[in-house]
Amino acid sequence: MTLLHLDGLTVRRGACPVVEGVSLSVAAGEFVGLIGPNGAGKTTLLRAALGLLAHGGRSSLSALPVAARARAAAFLPQAREVAWPVSVETLVALGRVPHGSGLSAADRMAVDRALRRMGLEAFRARDALGLSGGELARVLIARVLAQEAPLVLADEPVAGLDPASQIRTMQVFADLAREGRGVVASVHDLGLAARHCTRLVLMAKGRVVADGTPGAVLTAGNLATVFGIRAWLAEVEGGPVVVPLEVME
Amino acid sequence: MRVLAALGLLVAALFAASLLVGPAAMGLGPSLRALVTGEGEAVVLVMREIRLPRALLGVMVGAALGLAGAAMQGFLRNPLAEPGLIGVSPAASLGAVLALQTGVAAVWAPALPLAALAGAAGAVALLFVLAGPRGGALTLILAGIALSALAGALVALVLNLSPNPFAAMEIVFWMMGSLADRSMLHVSLAAPFMLVGVVLLARTGRGLDALTLGEDAASALGVSLERLRLQVVIGVAALVGAATAVAGAVGFVGLVVPHLLRPLVGARPSALLPAAALGGAAVVLAADIATRLIAPDRDLKLGVLTAIVGAPFFFRLIWSMRRGME
Repeated sequence: MTLLHLDGLTVRRGACPVVEGVSLSVAAGEFVGLIGPNGAGKTTLLRAALGLLAHGGRSSLSALPVAARARAAAFLPQAREVAWPVSVETLVALGRVPHGSGLSAADRMAVDRALRRMGLEAFRARDALGLSGGELARVLIARVLAQEAPLVLADEPVAGLDPASQIRTMQVFADLAREGRGVVASVHDLGLAARHCTRLVLMAKGRVVADGTPGAVLTAGNLATVFGIRAWLAEVEGGPVVVPLEVME
Repeated sequence: MRVLAALGLLVAALFAASLLVGPAAMGLGPSLRALVTGEGEAVVLVMREIRLPRALLGVMVGAALGLAGAAMQGFLRNPLAEPGLIGVSPAASLGAVLALQTGVAAVWAPALPLAALAGAAGAVALLFVLAGPRGGALTLILAGIALSALAGALVALVLNLSPNPFAAMEIVFWMMGSLADRSMLHVSLAAPFMLVGVVLLARTGRGLDALTLGEDAASALGVSLERLRLQVVIGVAALVGAATAVAGAVGFVGLVVPHLLRPLVGARPSALLPAAALGGAAVVLAADIATRLIAPDRDLKLGVLTAIVGAPFFFRLIWSMRRGME
């Protein structure tokens, strides 16, 4: 089942294209890692796909009415904004906003599941603004999980997390995909992307330059031309490993 | 819920106190009996024509300012936002000042609140022209500041050109904000606009809650930001415009009350809306009673009192905020 379909998606800032002619589909069961250097257009692609930015081309999500879109896809923005000192539980419960006003028993169960999944049950009553940056990041991911949408779009979900939290978060996303949902996450850590994603989409200068399994995308040639780095590539315990080594002159 | 019940009781008690405090010395029993039954010439007059409208306006103006402040802070995601930020109250003041200056208000009493309402409506129209149909929070604030500056300058111009010192004094006193000498006419003029404002803002709770996570996240949660902005701006303008039209400028209530009550409702913007409405009503009722008790024969202005009490309170807020940051 296709959860997201982009056809020739283009976003311009002035005359300059930030995302140009991106066409791709995301099916249920896929955990797509969106990789590429800074300024490649990853954030713009995610926002335009959701219809948060005016764009050319077609996106199956932005074509939906806003209420239907919120039930089709959950979005984790890059900026970890929380305006008010609400409790963690209240914050996570905001993920239930698309499911009607007032928290029903089903909503409460979804919030509980999300908190459990992110290992945040002990934080339930804590003030969200009193958390550390990494803890807040996990709470915001729990909010996205509580939305229980078929597709999750996450903009740099693991940036700033400690290694254990990074791996756990990537595993949560991989589990979602195995359960038949879809995840698209922009990731800067190529090692994490290689090990946990089922598919990688490599962007450079607003275009998709490679799309396929991690092994097929993370080649020495792609790393050199797109990122300008040399890396150690290997297979360990049945999965690919990428360790960036040096910048190429 | 417990917070709302406590605030509701407080408002009821202050409303009763507002009915029973005044220069005319009347017993508790006869006052209430006169209010309900309408028997007893002078007492009925005082209760029904003077004190009842004053107490009603206290509740309405206070609730309007508190609710508008809570909605504004929630929408702009800023605890220092206040309902006057979008320029509606200075514009309403300008309308009222023009009515006073031209003398229309002296000939026909409803002219003053009606002119103030017209000023508020003009401000909203200009605001949307300036900020555009889908501008963000920042353009809205900037447009509001520009409008406030313009309205303030025009009020100053009217004062500048005023034909005699008494006219100027009348204008200045009006602008200080008061609930004294109002009638049921003021109540019935303000009520429909305030009702519209309450209905509009009561429907913003979900959107304001979602905005806690920022504009992108709220939009992705299915909140139409354009619609929310329209509801908040028109709702706030209706409430503040009507409040200014009948009471003049009453500052600090819309800023301080939501701030004070936020921790008691778990900081949720939707929960803060009703709490701030009740809290605002309590504060304005209390302040209006205080103006009568502190200086019964000096006509202490309500807006002066709320500013005198509100500003130091605000200092304290800044102080505790600073300590929290350091």
